[in-house]
Amino acid sequence: MTDRTAPTALQTGIVQLRDVTEAIKVRIRNPAKLRNLELFLLVIAWVLAGGAMVLVQLGALQRVDMMPLQLAGLLGLLTLALHIALRVVAREADAIILPVVTVLNGLGIAMIYRIDIAEGATGWDAASMRQIAWTGIALLIAIATIVVIRNHRVLARYRFLAMAAAIILLVLPLVPGLGRTINGATVWIGLGSVLSLQPGELAKIALAIFFAGYLMTARDSLSVVGRKVLGIRFPRVRDLGPILIVWAMCLLVLVFQRDLGTSLLYFGLFLVMIYVATGRRSWMVIGLGLVALGGIAAYFALGYVQRRIGAWIHAFDPSVYDAQGGSYQIVQGVFGMAHGGLLGTGLGLGRPDITPYANSDYIIPSLGEELGLVGIFAILGLYLILVSRGIRIGFQGPDDFTKLLAVGLAFTIGLQVFIVVGGVTRLIPLTGLTTPFLAAGGSSLLANWLIVALLLRLSDSVRGRGIA
Amino acid sequence: MSELTLIIIRIGFLALLWLFVFIVLYSLRSDLFGPKLTPLQRVAVQSQRTRAEAAAQAAPAAAGGDAPTTVTERASAGSASGLARRIVITSGPRTGTEIELPETGLTIGRSSSAGLQIKDDYTSNSHAKIVRWRDEWVVQDLDSTNGTFVEGKRITQSTPVRVGSSVRIGTTTFELRR
Repeated sequence: MTDRTAPTALQTGIVQLRDVTEAIKVRIRNPAKLRNLELFLLVIAWVLAGGAMVLVQLGALQRVDMMPLQLAGLLGLLTLALHIALRVVAREADAIILPVVTVLNGLGIAMIYRIDIAEGATGWDAASMRQIAWTGIALLIAIATIVVIRNHRVLARYRFLAMAAAIILLVLPLVPGLGRTINGATVWIGLGSVLSLQPGELAKIALAIFFAGYLMTARDSLSVVGRKVLGIRFPRVRDLGPILIVWAMCLLVLVFQRDLGTSLLYFGLFLVMIYVATGRRSWMVIGLGLVALGGIAAYFALGYVQRRIGAWIHAFDPSVYDAQGGSYQIVQGVFGMAHGGLLGTGLGLGRPDITPYANSDYIIPSLGEELGLVGIFAILGLYLILVSRGIRIGFQGPDDFTKLLAVGLAFTIGLQVFIVVGGVTRLIPLTGLTTPFLAAGGSSLLANWLIVALLLRLSDSVRGRGIA
Repeated sequence: MSELTLIIIRIGFLALLWLFVFIVLYSLRSDLFGPKLTPLQRVAVQSQRTRAEAAAQAAPAAAGGDAPTTVTERASAGSASGLARRIVITSGPRTGTEIELPETGLTIGRSSSAGLQIKDDYTSNSHAKIVRWRDEWVVQDLDSTNGTFVEGKRITQSTPVRVGSSVRIGTTTFELRR
């Protein structure tokens, strides 16, 4: 660029500087580069996932069994299919999310497989087989989502449908004959005798869509009007309506489904989305106040909440440790992680199966025992990257709906990891939530891969602002 | 397989896991630290930042590293400057957004088909249009309800917009930049 008419030397000087600034603002608009980076990372992800499985076999069986590896290879092919689908229909989608999730999913399958070996489970009794099958289904649904939903903004139109769907999904486990109570929590529904699903996992996506759609239209009235008390602007009572409804819904989940983690997750999701939409700290004050209120009430009214908190604070008290539903699991998990130490016992070489639910709720301590602190930090690092990519997509999103949805979806993953990891490491009371992508469980895998598909779709709409 | 090989493979696995994390972080470096700059570019970026801060007054100061100078934008931005190539939103809900100005011009409005979509209650569906007329950009108000303002004045006919002069539509203000 030349400035033909720049009259003075001073001005030409500035123009030259501007030329330079233009030159640095190279927009990486090269989708092929993004997708190639993704493929490169995906290859490493396959090596990691396959390597974990081989190490499990070497450690626990002292030989390599090809059958599970071939099944895992099929999943690898499906991730490749998702990658190719992205090349065709979402060329500018984020390149980091898919490989990171592939590694997490692969590590999860390897660890579940390892627990199966320890427990001698084979065929469809083995959780790892079911996990592989569910991963396959989840990947197919993710591919379908990416291909079918070309413009995610249409989702905003269905926000009240999404709300209805979320409420139905939440209430479903309470329907007599359909609901299943496992370990005290009524969050499952049973279809036939084999299949049990956790509809609440899917409800979180529907809720995120509803919140994003609702806040997109309501943010003005939520952020501008209201009375000022102590320097913080509080919203009008009628604007408080939806947040109170959501709070009441979470409390209902807490009381009737006896699931602390899920209600915490939903409420946290709404709180963060409303904060992001309005940028007002008063929502945080109100929300945390409601959490404290609900928490205190639940502590005094609900026996299982009291037991959970007791097992958290007095975990090493022998009477709590030996009690039914006491702290045995928590303490075994902590012992397992301590046994693993810095570098871990090595995959297949520890004894993570001693802990109850070592392949679902307690998969993080299982991995901590066999991969050590070093491995756990790498896994947490991967989660951090995943969540930060989601929030980044929200930050760059071209419109309010995209921004809110991306932040909401990414935040559910982050909050879920925090609640689970915080629970097993005794930072917060233990609650039964699944670790995204790692823990055994079909509904959770399905929901989280759907989130991945949506995030990829959202990131594709951030045109020309991909990473270098 | 000997124990030693197994230990080496184990450590190797952890190393690969971390390598993966670091490769990802490395590929995100421009996201985390911004693009890599040469010293000259750094000076340029600084001067740009100074300009951005002063942009509200429409008389920004351009400070070059070793030869600090202050020139009013308008002096250089009048008919003398090159054609604007992008739009920067300086106030309103989408502050900071940058949009390339296509050769064919840009429509502004609330409808989703608009090139620059501004969603507030003061913006009409098809509010205004920026088109190229000979060697300058011209803004036309498309009979909007609440009007289009160039340099604070409501326009009634096609008005040329120079680089750096502000255009306000609803609660959104933007500038043309090169």
